[in-house]
Amino acid sequence: MNGTRGRTWKRTWTITLLSLALAGGIVDPSWGILDQLLSPPADKKSSQSKGQQAQPSEPKGLIDGIGGLLGAKEKDLDLIKKGLKTVQALQPIGLEEELAIGQAVAMEAFARFGGEYRDEALTTYVNLVGRTVAEVSDRPELTFRFAILNSPEQNAFAAPGGYIFVTIGLLKTLKNEAELAGVLAHEVAHVTQRHMLKTLQRSAILANLSEFSISIMRKDPQLFSNVIDAATDMLFEKGLDKEMEFEADTVGIEYTYRAGYHPNGLRDYLTTLKSQEGMAASRFFSTHPSTVERLKRATGVAARYAEARHYPYLAERFRSRMGPA
Amino acid sequence: MMRDRHLLLMILTFGTVLALVPSFLFAQTMYVSREEVKLTEEKSPTSKVVETLRRGAQVRVIEKSDRHFKVQAPSGKTGWVFKFTLSDQKVSGGSGDLLSAVTGDTRIAAREASSGGSIRGLKETSERYATTKHVDQAAKEAVQRMEDRVISREELLKFQREGSVGEFSEETP
Repeated sequence: MNGTRGRTWKRTWTITLLSLALAGGIVDPSWGILDQLLSPPADKKSSQSKGQQAQPSEPKGLIDGIGGLLGAKEKDLDLIKKGLKTVQALQPIGLEEELAIGQAVAMEAFARFGGEYRDEALTTYVNLVGRTVAEVSDRPELTFRFAILNSPEQNAFAAPGGYIFVTIGLLKTLKNEAELAGVLAHEVAHVTQRHMLKTLQRSAILANLSEFSISIMRKDPQLFSNVIDAATDMLFEKGLDKEMEFEADTVGIEYTYRAGYHPNGLRDYLTTLKSQEGMAASRFFSTHPSTVERLKRATGVAARYAEARHYPYLAERFRSRMGPA
Repeated sequence: MMRDRHLLLMILTFGTVLALVPSFLFAQTMYVSREEVKLTEEKSPTSKVVETLRRGAQVRVIEKSDRHFKVQAPSGKTGWVFKFTLSDQKVSGGSGDLLSAVTGDTRIAAREASSGGSIRGLKETSERYATTKHVDQAAKEAVQRMEDRVISREELLKFQREGSVGEFSEETP
């Protein structure tokens, strides 16, 4: 008994010292020493008799390790694991699935908003500004793609997977590159924060699923079609949740700052938008929260970046790339 | 009695160490979040390259400025990196995709391969959606053009240098 207690204390001490070493950076977590210590002691009776086939067992995880240390029975651990699996419900939508949804939504964007605005030089310019912002975002591994829609109404939106759209109508109201960066960064933020995917996951369409994978989409094209209908309805008609829009403003301003543009870009565009409210016909007003509220919040957020006061607006470069009005 | 002494000793050790170790030491390890990051001698992407770091590489932060961190690479070499290319969360390694390297788009992973077998293009699910929903051919082609557009690293860096943005943005005077 004393021997068992002694071993437990020895083990606890070792874990304590190792934890401190890990925190101080002396030991690398990838060495797996802590995992080894956390795993339950090997059962001496488990050696199998000759001829008996070894059963494939699930890899031991952290629950097994901590459970082993606390002396919990295997049956209890199984119950805990089963409980956790029930709570997990629908797994987050993966990259493959996100890209498939994004492509289908992108097709609908072109079909509903006047098609593609065919100006190679201008599209390249929008992509250069967009990528400058996207590469400092929280999903630098994702390839963001930017396109201009041939619609006179002011609008911009993001489809999952990094497909970003801005209308020529909106581009023409901008005064400088920092404003363009601000608008695109807001859309990039919708993708990095997975706003549409989170909303879809909470929707009734996916309510009874535990997984939404490419193979399920292939087996059930109607389900995929329903998901795209819900996504386009949300994007083009109803709009996302108000809090998601505010979050995209805040995160977008951070990306604009990281990209080295003046962080007032989005705020300045919102000022223009506010002055046009009630005059310009745009679904932008019905799919986004009140411009007054957004402007108020964006002004507060941008003011936090005092050190970025000298960052450029690049009005001249913007005008030269946009061409004559 | 013995057990209480052990417990007390353990709490004392933890408390003393936590009090002695400055908090910044806990945040000094970071990870490269881009496919490739240049470690340079000075705080500028145009200065001499010391080493090229790959996505997922673990670095130790030595010094911090507005937009750059001086770091020590796993090789032991030190230099400056644009700080927004680092993450404090562990990052898995790069794709190492040869086709991506050839096309110049280093962020296209092999798993994005399309139904047509090319590295870019529409996915089978989206293709089928377009057919069943009778999506306008022009819209479909426009998405294909989005997929096909390649912005090379050199073109992006030239654009950023001319505008003093991205990695070329200046530190606070």
